[in-house]
Amino acid sequence: MATTTLNPAAPAVRGGLYEWLTTTDHKKIGIMYLINSIIFFLAGGILALVVRLELAVPGLQFVDESFYNQAFTMHASFMLFLFVIPILAGFGNYVVPLQIGAPDMAFPRINALSFWLLPLGGALMASGFLASGGAAASGWTEYPPLSGGQYSGTGTDLWIMGLTLIGTSSILGSINFLVTIFKMRAPGMTLFRMPILVWTVLVTSVLVLMATPVLTSALVMLFIDRNYGGHFFDPANGGNAVLYQNVFWFYSHPAVYIMILPAMGIISEILPVFSRKPLFGYKAFIFATVAIGALGFSVWAHHMFTTGAVFLPFFSLMTFLIAVPTGVKMFNWIATMWRGKLTFETPMLYAIGFLTLFLLGGINGAFSAAVPVDFALHDTYFVVAHIHYVLFGGSVFAIFAGIYYWFPKMTGRMLGEGLGKIQFVLMFIGFNLTFFPMHQLGLAGMPRRIADYAANAGWSELNLAATIGGFVIAFAMLPFFWNVLVSLRNGKIASSDPWEANTLEWATTSPPPAYNFDHLPEIRSERPVFDARYGRTVAH
Amino acid sequence: MTADATALTTHSDAHAEAHAFDTHPAGGIGTPVLGMLLFIASEVMFFAGLFAAYFSIRAGYTEIVGGVPTHVWPPTAYEGLLNPFKLVTPDGQLNLILPATIILVLSSVTCQLGVWGIMKDDRRKFLRNFAVTLVLGVVFLLLQLYDYSVLINEGLTMGSTTFGTTYYTMTGFHFAHVFGGVLMLGVVLYRGMAGQFSAKHNDMVEATSLYWHFVDVVWILLFSTLYLL
Amino acid sequence: MSMPSRSRTRSGPLVAGLIIVVVAAVVIGVLAAAGVTPQQAWDSFFPVDGQTPVTDRGVATRQLYNTVFAIGAIIFVVVEILIVFTVFRYRRKPGDESLPPQTHGNNLVEVIWTAIPTAIVLFLFVISWQTLNTVNAATPSEVNVRAVAARFQWQFDYLDANGETLFTQLSPVGEDGGLVLPVGEPVHITLRSPDVNHAFYVPKFLFKRDVIPGKENAFDFTVEEPGTYRGQCAELCGTYHGSMLFEVHALPKAEFEAWLAGSIEKANATPAPLPSGDAAGAVVEESAKNVEFVVKDLTAAANAPFTIRFKNEDAPGVPHDIAIKDASGAEVFKGDIIDGGKEINYAVQALAAGSYTFVCTVHPNMTGTLTVQ
Repeated sequence: MATTTLNPAAPAVRGGLYEWLTTTDHKKIGIMYLINSIIFFLAGGILALVVRLELAVPGLQFVDESFYNQAFTMHASFMLFLFVIPILAGFGNYVVPLQIGAPDMAFPRINALSFWLLPLGGALMASGFLASGGAAASGWTEYPPLSGGQYSGTGTDLWIMGLTLIGTSSILGSINFLVTIFKMRAPGMTLFRMPILVWTVLVTSVLVLMATPVLTSALVMLFIDRNYGGHFFDPANGGNAVLYQNVFWFYSHPAVYIMILPAMGIISEILPVFSRKPLFGYKAFIFATVAIGALGFSVWAHHMFTTGAVFLPFFSLMTFLIAVPTGVKMFNWIATMWRGKLTFETPMLYAIGFLTLFLLGGINGAFSAAVPVDFALHDTYFVVAHIHYVLFGGSVFAIFAGIYYWFPKMTGRMLGEGLGKIQFVLMFIGFNLTFFPMHQLGLAGMPRRIADYAANAGWSELNLAATIGGFVIAFAMLPFFWNVLVSLRNGKIASSDPWEANTLEWATTSPPPAYNFDHLPEIRSERPVFDARYGRTVAH
Repeated sequence: MTADATALTTHSDAHAEAHAFDTHPAGGIGTPVLGMLLFIASEVMFFAGLFAAYFSIRAGYTEIVGGVPTHVWPPTAYEGLLNPFKLVTPDGQLNLILPATIILVLSSVTCQLGVWGIMKDDRRKFLRNFAVTLVLGVVFLLLQLYDYSVLINEGLTMGSTTFGTTYYTMTGFHFAHVFGGVLMLGVVLYRGMAGQFSAKHNDMVEATSLYWHFVDVVWILLFSTLYLL
Repeated sequence: MSMPSRSRTRSGPLVAGLIIVVVAAVVIGVLAAAGVTPQQAWDSFFPVDGQTPVTDRGVATRQLYNTVFAIGAIIFVVVEILIVFTVFRYRRKPGDESLPPQTHGNNLVEVIWTAIPTAIVLFLFVISWQTLNTVNAATPSEVNVRAVAARFQWQFDYLDANGETLFTQLSPVGEDGGLVLPVGEPVHITLRSPDVNHAFYVPKFLFKRDVIPGKENAFDFTVEEPGTYRGQCAELCGTYHGSMLFEVHALPKAEFEAWLAGSIEKANATPAPLPSGDAAGAVVEESAKNVEFVVKDLTAAANAPFTIRFKNEDAPGVPHDIAIKDASGAEVFKGDIIDGGKEINYAVQALAAGSYTFVCTVHPNMTGTLTVQ
């Protein structure tokens, strides 16, 4: 790369490990977020395979009940707190400053701290497996009294401490995103010219900022009950077990929007590029995102319908209402593709897969909004199906779309299309084979979080099918990692804009220089690179 | 259009640091101040969780009176323990929570005077007022610790039903936040004495004062809720 | 800017269509080979495989489910067809580098696809609220049972009008156990837990309710079909959560009343189990602690009666017993249930040589092997 006025023959960066350990560059930090998250994705995936292996056939073959409970607890904890939320923060970290034409995040050192809290918090949580009573084992929800000192051991304390660090990482990250987005946009980029991913990161950051501290308070109260003789959740001394559920879900429901909104942002970046049309209804999309964020704070007790301690009609209504802005987004995405000129590179395949799977996940969620139906389906595999359709079919498919889409920008190499398509097909099939039968299992009465089931319950065949599906998903990771390894070495060199995309990250080299931009195009719409390419001669 | 040329200076002294990454791009609120406001918002939500737990617990607290569960608060065993207007306890110890509250409120006043000072480039006013704020903050912490010892003496501990649990948890976390604030005041005072602040560069002073006011407001809410209501 | 290597959109849809057809064929083939009829496949989309729920409330819930399912299915099919159609119809023709019309949006359309879904969800909310009122309605009843859920057992206290316990059903499953209820009569259940959260769940009732320490949840219903219905704890409560099963036995009213009267009589008549009496034959020691058998492998001589001296070392409120099953699973011996802190001598009849299993009928996770030789 030629030297420029901004980068005179500066001394070569001290490359290697030291550079990565001490960096405050949002791009490197973003990549580290991705790597750390994928490591925990693999760990969580292995735990899922343990669960599926045990459930494949009636009878306990591989693990005992105690380890099984640790397996599903830590599977979910890793996936939610150490994979989905951080990897989306990682994409935000890498992409948002580029998309707004900024040289870095507002607080680069705090950015680095946010990252390093993650492997530390994750290690703390995971160290529970080495504790004498094993890792946390009361479900990722860790309801007391089961998670209290009388029934759970040190693994739970480690889980609490690890999660507190992870929450701190999130909160600091959200402050960074908000200040960056409000204060560091390039000239010409008004709020309504920001890329939609930036908008979703903005709303997500507000959710993280306001909701995560409430989780911290729940964790603190649980820790005090467990270790300092507290009685927050102890009914014998004035406490209330349901109190924990309320405080916990006040965070954990917005958390699911934290997990999906940036994913929706990624989809909203990809569909327009591969349809060669702008996102349909950009402003409607923004309002829908804000509506989801706001409504997301009003539905938490729909996780508690069966406690008998909830004002049911209010939460049922709000839960039904949140389907409306979600539906608006779905229609806007379809309208983006409508009358477009679609091509089907791997990012686009994942985006289209997202549409179908998230649609299903949204619809099966509506069943639980109908309270009497929830009385039948709560805590059964129907809910497990719903969770995975929206989190895996939704967020994870969007994450893979994002990986394929931005890998060229991050590394300067294209990922192989052939292997990408193979992975997509395997993942799509494996995913549905694993999780679709769970609708049937839940409807037939199979509860969650059980290590084994009776041979005559009628659940055996579907469980076996789900396990086979799980291994297909695992198998689908092989072409992915092979693709990454091979492409890093020998992948086709990526130009600055291999996808003919719309937003500012494609206005600089792949990968970008340390200071991001030599030169920014004029910003007159939410598609500045598109405008520059077509000289605004195309009808706008 | 080139990226902001000031983004890449390589000065290392603190004064230029303020320029190296322009904290007032596009004018308006400075980035450290915005960052602090957002951080305060998150801390408000943390205390909100604790307050919600407190009110929920308090509303549902019952004791068996005459064989029937009846709502009481405080529990009869701890009646009158948290009366801030009884400056001397039955066994002759001092109850200094009301003076401590007044001291903390005063410290917010001195803190703000200090901010106004540095905004007018009056370094002496800034330094004096911040020093007083720091001292008042430390005094508050010491008085709080003394108050804890008195209460423990009178039998109120973390395990004294949810009355004790909520009391110590909420005031304890407030204590931790005041302690953090005292550290911040110390750092700002040190940097102020080293001449790093002026009318043009005082973001960290303003940010610290916002945090200190927040800590004070939380105390006023806590005091009202735990001691007065 | 170099042109990206576009997919060969000509063969793309063909490959996609082929994959879809093959996968569909495999799925249908496997289902057919497994003997799943189209009717069964359809039924699997409904609670308890499409069977009629056995309570009045369950029937109301099923009707609500049907409506939600119908609307959900229609929406899914319509939107999915839209997606598939769009993807196929608007793919780029090879060599076509032109841009399509750059439509940014359409406010009218936004209003329409906001208003219609709002109307649909409001409708769903109203009907689900109405059904909720039916399901949660309190009905006066004469049959009053308190279900006590503890780690890892269910116990049912039959109460009189004043809430006093007439009789406690200690065994949650089996011929002599379970939650026995009358058909056609309203029943009132209260829920209590001495330890952690549990949930009372009977799939065929299409109903569950949490059991929360410090809170007594209660609900009413009427069973409309006689039969035996499985139930299970549906809130993670610890290691053996998955074993916390129970059964509901719904009997015609006259049979229920006879059963209840008989059980009350037996409960009042039976003296406390003898702590230790004279043992007959060889004595085998066993105890139960922490909801597990201490000795997992017992041996006894073949063809001679023997005694099991059984100590329940758990706390009061945690009852245990021993039932012995032969290799085919048939029950050959069932001892009386004793509460925590008690002991009993079980006089077991002569058994043929072979391998048997013994279980606690209250806690199905408690098992061991008995080798008779």
